[in-house]
Amino acid sequence: MTPFVKILFGQVILLAMLGLFRLTAFASVDDAQTFALQAAEPYVKQGFQVREDYWGGDLGSGEKKAVRQQLFKGNEYWFWLGTEVERAKISVHIYDSDGKLAEDPDGWEKGHFAAAHVIPKTTGSYFIIVSVEDSPEERTHWALVYGFR
Amino acid sequence: MLLFTKHLKLSAIAVAGLALCAHAAQAPQRIDIKQLSKTVEDVVVPLPNEIFGALNKLGAVNWKEHVRTDKGASFTERPRIALLLGTVIADGFVAVQAEDAPAVKEIGQKVLTLAKGIGVGNSITPHAKAITEAADKRDWESVRQELDRTQNSVQQAMNEVHDEKLSQLVSLGGWLRGTEVLTSVVTKHFSPDGAELLHQPDLLSYFQTRLERMPEYKVPILHEIQEALVDVKPLIDVGNRPIPRESVKKINDITTRLGNGIVTRD
Repeated sequence: MTPFVKILFGQVILLAMLGLFRLTAFASVDDAQTFALQAAEPYVKQGFQVREDYWGGDLGSGEKKAVRQQLFKGNEYWFWLGTEVERAKISVHIYDSDGKLAEDPDGWEKGHFAAAHVIPKTTGSYFIIVSVEDSPEERTHWALVYGFR
Repeated sequence: MLLFTKHLKLSAIAVAGLALCAHAAQAPQRIDIKQLSKTVEDVVVPLPNEIFGALNKLGAVNWKEHVRTDKGASFTERPRIALLLGTVIADGFVAVQAEDAPAVKEIGQKVLTLAKGIGVGNSITPHAKAITEAADKRDWESVRQELDRTQNSVQQAMNEVHDEKLSQLVSLGGWLRGTEVLTSVVTKHFSPDGAELLHQPDLLSYFQTRLERMPEYKVPILHEIQEALVDVKPLIDVGNRPIPRESVKKINDITTRLGNGIVTRD
């Protein structure tokens, strides 16, 4: 290997490492939102209107966050949770204002994604509980979007 | 961009597949809400079309009679512009329900003018253009989506320059106009299910708290709204009891008065 090739090779490796660092360092709630929207995509074809607004943050393994949401009887809602951390295990569940599980049984969770479905029996406040069950990262970004029809 | 779209489509197909084969772990049947008090995020204010959608399912609504496109007064005070912007975006959702293309286009332009007046015009210019194009094509779903994007962009632009309070006033303006239209429809065609859509006590408390934190805005209409919300609270915070016809009428009187105050110069 000539010195020139060595230097070039070294620079390529350095750039690749910097690129990886950038990906890790700048992974954010926006990335998590991209995954949450990806989970929502198939439902748009079923007539769900996905809100532009969303919630997001970061949680450690085993931590939960509650989101209060006004839901209207007559509408049907899906909540989609996403994270950019590949091996994280996340979940989302819906409870009514008395703390009773209100979701339908067809919610799901897998890899970057989790989803919960509810057809509210009454109009009022509900609690959407998001949780990072397990994650290889110390803090895991999450984003929650919802849609209705 | 095309590659990204293709990637997104493939990902969407993959996610649809995941949904078919993945199931949620068993969640507890009951949780203690009081224990969550420290970890509860702020409420996301529903868009008017979320309420209108539920209202539509209760029976046909003559949305045309609720369309409003009058220009109203022009303001220089930023809190007043923010409130008005929220109500005008809500008017856009009403015009979409009525499938009134000229009204939608007019409202799109008005939104742009107001956004410029508050210094966030740049963020919504593409949305205003998209609203006009979609209205020309009578593509109501796209108009709805663009109105949502407009509100989101306006509020994001405000939050970026730490104008969160103005952003909250946009939400408040939209909520008041939405409630005015909802109560008007339900007053004319009363049903307990229609009245139940007003059961939004936490949302009302959210706005009350936010208004309390805006003492620097010496705008009479904000004080008027604050006082009116105190009157509205017991009418909608009824627990499991139904909201009677008289309460719906009272809320309509209050929100109509406030709505007129928002569009009219003091």
